[in-house]
Amino acid sequence: MSGQVKDSPAGEPMTEAFLEVSDLHAGYGQARVLHGIGFSVGRGEICAILGPNGAGKTTTLRALSGMVKGRGSVTLDGTQLLGRLPEQTARLGVAHVPEGRGTFNDLTVEENLRVGAYLRHRRGRRARSERVAVAADLERVYGYFPKLRERSRQAAGSLSGGEQQMLAIGRALMLRPALLLLDEPSLGLAPLVTRELFRIVRTVNEEERTTVVVVEQNAQLALDIAHQAHVLESGRLVLSGPADQIRQDGQVAEVYLGISVQARKGG
Amino acid sequence: MSTGELTMHASRTARWARPLAALVITAALIATPYYFAPFRVFQLTMVLLYAVVLAGLNLLVGYGGQISLGHGAFFAVGAYTAAVMLDRFTTGHLATLPVAAAGCFLLGLGFGVPALRLRGLYLALVTLAFAVFLPPLLKRFEHVTGGSMGLTVPKPQPPSWTGLAEDQWLYFLTLTVAAVTLLVVRNLLRSRVGRALLAIRENESAAEVMGVRLSFHKALAFAWSAMFAGVAGCLYTWVIGFVSPDSFSLNLSITLLAGLVVGGLASVYGPLLGAAFVMYVPNLAQDISPAAPGVVFGLLIIAVMYLAPTGLAGLAARARQGVRRCVEHLRHTRRRPEPASPAEQTGPPQPEPQPLTAPPTIGKG
Amino acid sequence: MSEFLQQVVEGVGAGSIYASLALALVLIHRFTGIVNFAQGELAMISTYVAWQLVASGMPFWLALPVTLAISFAGGMLIERLLIRPVEGAPELTIVIVTVGLFIFVNAAAGLIWSFTVKDFPQPFPEGSVALAGVDIGWSTLGVIGVVAVVMGLLYLLFQHTRTGLVMRAVAANPASARLSGIRMGRVLMLGWGLAATVGALSGVLVAPLLFLEPNMMGGALIYAFAAATLGGFDSPVGAVAGGLVVGVAETLAGAYVGFVGADLKIGVPLLIILVVLLVRPQGLFGRAAVERA
Repeated sequence: MSGQVKDSPAGEPMTEAFLEVSDLHAGYGQARVLHGIGFSVGRGEICAILGPNGAGKTTTLRALSGMVKGRGSVTLDGTQLLGRLPEQTARLGVAHVPEGRGTFNDLTVEENLRVGAYLRHRRGRRARSERVAVAADLERVYGYFPKLRERSRQAAGSLSGGEQQMLAIGRALMLRPALLLLDEPSLGLAPLVTRELFRIVRTVNEEERTTVVVVEQNAQLALDIAHQAHVLESGRLVLSGPADQIRQDGQVAEVYLGISVQARKGG
Repeated sequence: MSTGELTMHASRTARWARPLAALVITAALIATPYYFAPFRVFQLTMVLLYAVVLAGLNLLVGYGGQISLGHGAFFAVGAYTAAVMLDRFTTGHLATLPVAAAGCFLLGLGFGVPALRLRGLYLALVTLAFAVFLPPLLKRFEHVTGGSMGLTVPKPQPPSWTGLAEDQWLYFLTLTVAAVTLLVVRNLLRSRVGRALLAIRENESAAEVMGVRLSFHKALAFAWSAMFAGVAGCLYTWVIGFVSPDSFSLNLSITLLAGLVVGGLASVYGPLLGAAFVMYVPNLAQDISPAAPGVVFGLLIIAVMYLAPTGLAGLAARARQGVRRCVEHLRHTRRRPEPASPAEQTGPPQPEPQPLTAPPTIGKG
Repeated sequence: MSEFLQQVVEGVGAGSIYASLALALVLIHRFTGIVNFAQGELAMISTYVAWQLVASGMPFWLALPVTLAISFAGGMLIERLLIRPVEGAPELTIVIVTVGLFIFVNAAAGLIWSFTVKDFPQPFPEGSVALAGVDIGWSTLGVIGVVAVVMGLLYLLFQHTRTGLVMRAVAANPASARLSGIRMGRVLMLGWGLAATVGALSGVLVAPLLFLEPNMMGGALIYAFAAATLGGFDSPVGAVAGGLVVGVAETLAGAYVGFVGADLKIGVPLLIILVVLLVRPQGLFGRAAVERA
C-alpha cells in the first residue's frame, strides 16, 4: 500500500488553495488517530475523503471544525483554524454536518433552520436586510429540499433518516458557509435517497461555489461528485489525486472500495 | 480492566517491606487501646466504625459511580435493628449483627432495583428522600423505637478472661468487624461484581454490550453498600448504647459522603482517611460555630473535586510517588539523566486509581 | 364534597410551589444532564435576600422582582465560577460539586442569619373567597396566580424569542448548537440564572407558609424531585404538571389517610418516585412530548 502522499501545494493545478491542511495530528486522549496528514482544497471544489472504518475520516472533519484538538496547521483562506472551538470556526464560515446528522430533534424543521442562521443575526440598521436575506435563504433551502417545506412545522425527530440528513445539510447552508463539511451523509440511508442527496450537494456546490469536504465510506458515490479525493488509512493519507483518476485506478477500486463495502456491514 | 488499581502496587519496594509494614500496623492497632486514654480509644473505635460505612459507600460511589445521599439512613436502620433486638428480645449482641446486615442488604436491594433501572441520578433522589423520611417514621412507631426519646440498650461486656475494660473490648470488636469488612470489600472488587462495576463506571453502553447486566449489578452493589452501612450502624448501637432519631438526620448522610470524597474515592485508604475526617473535623469545626462544619465540608468537597479528585488518599499516593522518584533519581543519577523508569511511567498497573478522570466525552465515531 | 375540593385547591397551591422548584431542576437537567442538589438551598438563600429587603423597609411587591433579579445574577455567577471549571468532567464530579454547594449554602445561611426561625411576611390579603361553594384562601389563589404568570412568561421566552430558540437548541443537541456558532457558556449561564429565578420564586412563596430557616427547603426539594420524576426530568411541562399532582396527592394523603397525617407526608414523594420508577421510569411526559412544550 504505498500510494503516493502528495505534499499539498505541489499537485493542485486548477485553483488557488482555499483550505490548506498540513501535518495534521489529532486524537482522543491517549488514542492518536491522525498521524500527520496534509492536503489542500481549492476554492469552490468538492473534496472527498475516503477510507475504511476507523481510518480517521471523522476525526479529520472534527479537527477542522474544532470538535477535537489537532496539531499541525489548517488554514482557511489564510486563517488558522486549529486551536479554535467549534463555535469559533462556525464564525469563520465552517459548517460541519456531523456524523449521525445532529439535528435538533425537539425543534421543528423551520426552527432547526433558524438555529442554523444564528450567526447571521444583526442588530441596528442591518437587522432588517439580514432578516430578509435569511428569509430568502430559507426559501432557497426549501427549494433544494421541497420535502422540508412540507414538514416545516413538524418536529425534526419525527422525520425519516433521509429527511433528517436533508435538514442537517439545510441547517448548515443557512450559515452561508464558506466551507461545508459533510460526515458520512449516506450513513443508514437507502441508495436512492443517498444519490439524491449527493446530487443536491453537487448542485449547491455549483450554484454557490461552496467548498465542500465530504467524508464517505461509499467511495463510488463520493467520487462521482468530487473533484479531488484522498484515501485515508490508519490515520495516514495513502493516496491523493483527482477524483476521476482515483476512480479509474484499478488497484484503488479493488483495495479501498472493497474494504469500504466490507466495513459498512460492521459499522 | 486489570485489578491493578485495586491492589496496592508492589513495585520495586523490597519484597519484605510490605509484610513487615502490615505486621507493624497490626501490632500498632492491637497495642493502641493499651496506651491511650478511654476517651481516645472510644474516638478510634468510632473512626473504625465509620470506616466500615465508608468502605461500603466507596464500593458504590468510588467504583460504581453512583451517589447515595441516604447512607446515614441505612446506618440508622442497622442501629435501630440492633437496638430494638436488644431492647425487646434481649438477644445477645452477636445475633444483632447478621440481622442488621441482612435487613439493610434487602432494603438496599428494594430501593436499588427501581432506582437503578434508569441511567442517571435517581438513586441519589431516592436515597435522599429516604434519609429525610426515616426520622419522622422512627418517631411515629414510638412503641417499638422509643420515639423521639430513643432507646438505651446495654453495651456488650468484655468476657472476664480477657481482662479488658469496656472501651478496649468495644475497640477490638469494631476492629475485627472493620478488618473483615475491608477484606470482604477487597474480595468483592476482585470478583465479578467488582469487574462489572468498573466496566459500568468506565463506559455504561460498552459494558451493556459486553453483557453486563447493568441495573442488576448496580442494584447489587448498592445492596452490599447498604449492608455495610447497616453493619456499622449495629456497631454504633453497641458502642454508644443509645439510639435516637435525631442522631440520624440527613446531616449524617451528607457528612458520610463528604468524608468519603475528601478521603478519596475508589481508593483503598480513602475510607479510613475519610472516617478520621468524619470523626474529628466536625468536632473541631463545631468549636468555632454550629454552622462551621457545613461551611468547611462544603468548601472542602468542592475544592477536592477541583484540585484533587482522588482525595487525601490520592494526594498521599502522589506524595509517595514523588518521594520514590527522588530516591530513584539519586540512585540512578550517574547512569541515566531521566529519573523515572519507563515501567513507572507507562506500565499498565497504575499505582494511582483515577476514579474521576474518565475518557473524554466525545466518542470516536 | 366541597371539603374535598377545598383540599384539592390547597393541593394545587402547594403544588404550584413544587412546580416552580421542579421546573428549576428540569431547566438545569436539560442543559447539563445533572440534577442540581443545591437548587433548594439556592432558593432558600434567595428567600433570605427577600426577607432582608422587606425587613429593611422595601415593600414586598418591589422586593420580589428585586430578589428574582438578584437570584438570576447569582445563578449565572454560580454557573460561571463553580460549574464551568468542571464542565466536561464526569457527571459524578459535577453532582458532588452541587452537593458541596448544598452543604455550603445551608451552613452559610446559618452563619449569616442564624438557625433561629424568622417570620416571613404574608404578601397576600387575609381571608378567602367563595368560588362554587369552595372557600379558597387569597394566599392560595395568590400563589397560584404568581406561579402562573411566571410560567407564562417563561413559555413566551422559550417559544417566541430568539434566545429561547437558542436555549432549546442547546438543550436538544449541544454539539450541533456549537457547530451553528452558539456559545454554550452564555446559554448555560442563562439556564442557571433562569433556574435560580424560578427556584427563588418557590422559596419566597413557600416561606410565609413555613418559617424562614436554613433547612426550610429540604422538604420542598424532595417534593420537587418527585414532581420532576413524575413529569419526566426532560420536560418543563411535565415538571409543572408533576408539581401540581404531587401537591394534590400530598394534601389529600395528609387529610384523608389517617396513618400519614402531617408528620409522615414526606413519605408521599418517596412513594411517588419509587412507583414512577417502577411503572413508567421516563415519567409521564417522557422525551416524545417535550417538543410540544
